[in-house]
Amino acid sequence: MKSILVLIAAAVLAAGCAHEQTRYGDARAIETVSNQFGSTDLQVIAEAMARSMQQAPVIVAGNLPIVTVQEVKNKTSEYIDTRAITDSIRAELQKGGKVRFAVDAPGMTQQVDEIKRQQTEYYAKEQAVEKGQMIGAQYRMEGNITSIVKQVKDVKDVYYKFNLQLWNIRNGLLEWSDEKEIRKTTTKG
Amino acid sequence: MKAVWTMVALLAAVFVAAGCATKKGFEQPGFAFGCPVGEAKVGSMDDLVKVKTASEGRRTTIQATEVRCTKSGDLLKIDANLNNDSSSTKRIAYKFRWIDREGMRAWEEETWKPLLIYNNSNMMINAVAPTSKAVDFRLILMSQE
Repeated sequence: MKSILVLIAAAVLAAGCAHEQTRYGDARAIETVSNQFGSTDLQVIAEAMARSMQQAPVIVAGNLPIVTVQEVKNKTSEYIDTRAITDSIRAELQKGGKVRFAVDAPGMTQQVDEIKRQQTEYYAKEQAVEKGQMIGAQYRMEGNITSIVKQVKDVKDVYYKFNLQLWNIRNGLLEWSDEKEIRKTTTKG
Repeated sequence: MKAVWTMVALLAAVFVAAGCATKKGFEQPGFAFGCPVGEAKVGSMDDLVKVKTASEGRRTTIQATEVRCTKSGDLLKIDANLNNDSSSTKRIAYKFRWIDREGMRAWEEETWKPLLIYNNSNMMINAVAPTSKAVDFRLILMSQE
């Protein structure tokens, strides 16, 4: 009976000592919590692709080409929010000021809804946007991410390859393409 | 006749002086190896590396040995050679810091990029400025050991 009481007291003390701590970290620090696709991979890929695309001849030409973002296919075995990657690429390119972006397929419903809303009787007719004024993209950006995962005993190796392409919508020519590779190896023990 | 000889001697002196004044390189004032250096005195590649690189966080034994710059369109393009002269593979992180004409940050802080350099090896890293407003840079290195 006495030993049970001692054990309970020890457990209560231990629970009291174990406290949780939350701290802010560096959002751009290298993250190696696991070898799954992480924030560093996303940031490194987005930065590399945006910087490379800025050097594409159609963008260097300097006439602010209009691009629409299409799907980046996730061909890996894990869940990756590829939209987050293309959003980061788009943000970096937009800030660079060399590319303009046309509304993409997922944003089209909201765009059309807003045009329709402005054409209702609640809005001043002279200021409401008219149908048929949207500008279509000249180029479309699409890509894919693939991975090769190998695991032997205590070693897990993950290789990611991100490929991005810029296609000319008018003539179907591939105007620019680049790849970024990442390798991560985790060893247990 | 004496006046003619004086004239010839003067012309010869001007040509010699002009020849001496001409640099063998192709540098504009305020640039070294294509990289902007402003008022800094840069007489060699070592001086340029000192001016353009910095260490943050844990120090690394990896050293930049060469930095060269050029332009890609209106964007600053940089090649930097990193050297690992130790007998073990080293892991580091690096990023570029972009600076505008006024000496302010031309772009938000870049993400740290992990890099592995084998023993007794060199690794060439390159970067392109994210915006034409970035006219200068610093290469920042940090150990990941």
